[in-house]
Amino acid sequence: MVPLPKGVWGGTTPAVLAILALLPVAVPSATLATEILIFAMAALACNLLLGYGGLLSFGQGLFFGVGSYLAALAMIHLEVGLVAALAIAVAAGAAVATAVGWLAIRRTGIYFVMLTLALAQMGYFLAYTLSKWTGGDNGLLDVPRPPLALFGVELASLDGAYAYYAFVAVLFLAVYVGARRVIDSPFGSTLVAIRENEARAAAVGFDTRHFKMLAFTLSGAVTALAGALYAMLINYVPLDNVAIAMSEHIVIMTIIGGTGSLLGSLLGAGTLVLVGEVLSAIWPRWPLLLGVGLILLVMFLRRGLWGGVESLIARYRRRGEAAE
Amino acid sequence: MSAYILETRDLALAYGGFRAVDGVSLRVKAGTIHSVIGPNGAGKTSLFHCLTGGRKPTEGDIVFDGRDVTRRPAHARVGIGMARSFQVTSLFQNLSVRENLRLASQGRDGDRALAFWRPVSAGRAHLERADRIMERLNLSARANAAAGDLSHGQQRVLEVGMALCGEPKLLLLDEPTSGMGIDDIPVMTKLIADLGRDHTVMLIEHNMGIVMSISDTVTVMSRGKVLVEGRPDAVRADERVRAAYLGEAG
Ligand SMILES: Nc1ncnc2c1ncn2[C@@H]1O[C@H](COP(=O)(O)OP(=O)(O)OP(=O)(O)O)[C@@H](O)[C@H]1O
Ligand SMILES: [Mg+2]
Repeated sequence: MVPLPKGVWGGTTPAVLAILALLPVAVPSATLATEILIFAMAALACNLLLGYGGLLSFGQGLFFGVGSYLAALAMIHLEVGLVAALAIAVAAGAAVATAVGWLAIRRTGIYFVMLTLALAQMGYFLAYTLSKWTGGDNGLLDVPRPPLALFGVELASLDGAYAYYAFVAVLFLAVYVGARRVIDSPFGSTLVAIRENEARAAAVGFDTRHFKMLAFTLSGAVTALAGALYAMLINYVPLDNVAIAMSEHIVIMTIIGGTGSLLGSLLGAGTLVLVGEVLSAIWPRWPLLLGVGLILLVMFLRRGLWGGVESLIARYRRRGEAAE
Repeated sequence: MSAYILETRDLALAYGGFRAVDGVSLRVKAGTIHSVIGPNGAGKTSLFHCLTGGRKPTEGDIVFDGRDVTRRPAHARVGIGMARSFQVTSLFQNLSVRENLRLASQGRDGDRALAFWRPVSAGRAHLERADRIMERLNLSARANAAAGDLSHGQQRVLEVGMALCGEPKLLLLDEPTSGMGIDDIPVMTKLIADLGRDHTVMLIEHNMGIVMSISDTVTVMSRGKVLVEGRPDAVRADERVRAAYLGEAG
């Protein structure tokens, strides 16, 4: 037998590879598959804060919006290429998230959540007010999707839906593997320790504020990357991208999938995007059903969909052992 | 270097208008076991909070190992050699015993744990220290059990072990036997006496058996002040100490 790969390439990573390969044929369109991966990226970033750090941030929509706007504006006004636009989005997302984190972590619990909410709301009104740049209510139109080029050499056009899917899938894989490394690092383990018992974490020597801030920085960077990819996907930045509802959307995906599990974030994003796609065609009031679904989930599947899958696997295994 | 590893001068901590610590000056000699006793509410835990940085004293100063640490935050005292255990057990309940100790070892290096690109397994020194201390605490058989699943006595032992992982010069233990059954107490007594051989230990304890048998110096606190200080036998015989404890009972 071939030994199973260890570390970040083992565990759930092969499952993610399989999902990435099957997704565009399993769902109705490559565009939808791309949307799933983009939101899965945002959920993954939210999970780092919420699932591992125990930090419920409503700033995620702000980071997503910052990524969308800055990548779009850089491409439109500075005519930068794909890689530079993404890099700008990532840097801006990291910077904004660091600032939000720096302020919000001065408080804990409900006050912390309120601070992230208030800062996100400020971002929204700023985007609304700067309509000369952002298009305000109408959104920012005609966002290009440049070809993939490095050092002026064009490597691939991303105009086709499948080509763009492949590009996003590669980035998603990188983010997923990177996130697994982060979770399994001294930093990730300390984040969990802070979630478990902040007073003890401080007493054994950790400056907990530094760890929370770094969690924000990383989360903001990845969320902004997702925002930039989304703008290129739909060639447009709606004001909704930076709204509180976007934060909610991302947080709900993370919780539905299961906090504290990276694969869960992919599951949560996939479920929400697909359900939204199917139900919105049938019934425009579908978010009502989403509310009901969320209530059921919180009451009966506290660890989210992935938690449910895990207990099914465990039960199946136990039955297998009993049969032997 | 002075023979005293810790010195406080006129230390005070007020909660609102109430002075829980009220002008405490004491000196802890390096390499000794120095106990702090006193009736409930005497201000022992509050004194520890000041010494370890959990709370900022309202007056006075603290010199540890030759430097003024009065305003230094709690996390920054670990790196210079202070570590504490809590009167009310404070562990990472859902994490394994080994992970608790590994994290505590990692804490000694402070911000170096921000390395998010490195695998945990690369911090071999932390893992080794955790395993060594687990062995010393006699908890190796429960290495992978969640800390919250240990018996109360084992949790108290782990609580002390967490402080030990900081490889401190000064170990501050706040009532390590609190809530422990009579059967577990000898284990803890032996552990503390044993730790006293490699560390300076400051010990808050209500159990007089332990205090009198292992301490080099005993400080008696009452109503935020130092009442008496001396060798265990001298303190035991002191009238004022008796009166303080009786006063509490009556
Ligand atoms: N956070 C606080 N706010 C207000 N008063 C406090 C606070 N913590 C302790 N106190 C009061 O300060 C006094 C000293 O408390 P402390 O916990 O230091 O006593 P202690 O000597 O450790 O007692 P014990 O032996 O019961 O642990 C008590 O009267 C207590 O009620
Ligand atoms: Mg106390």
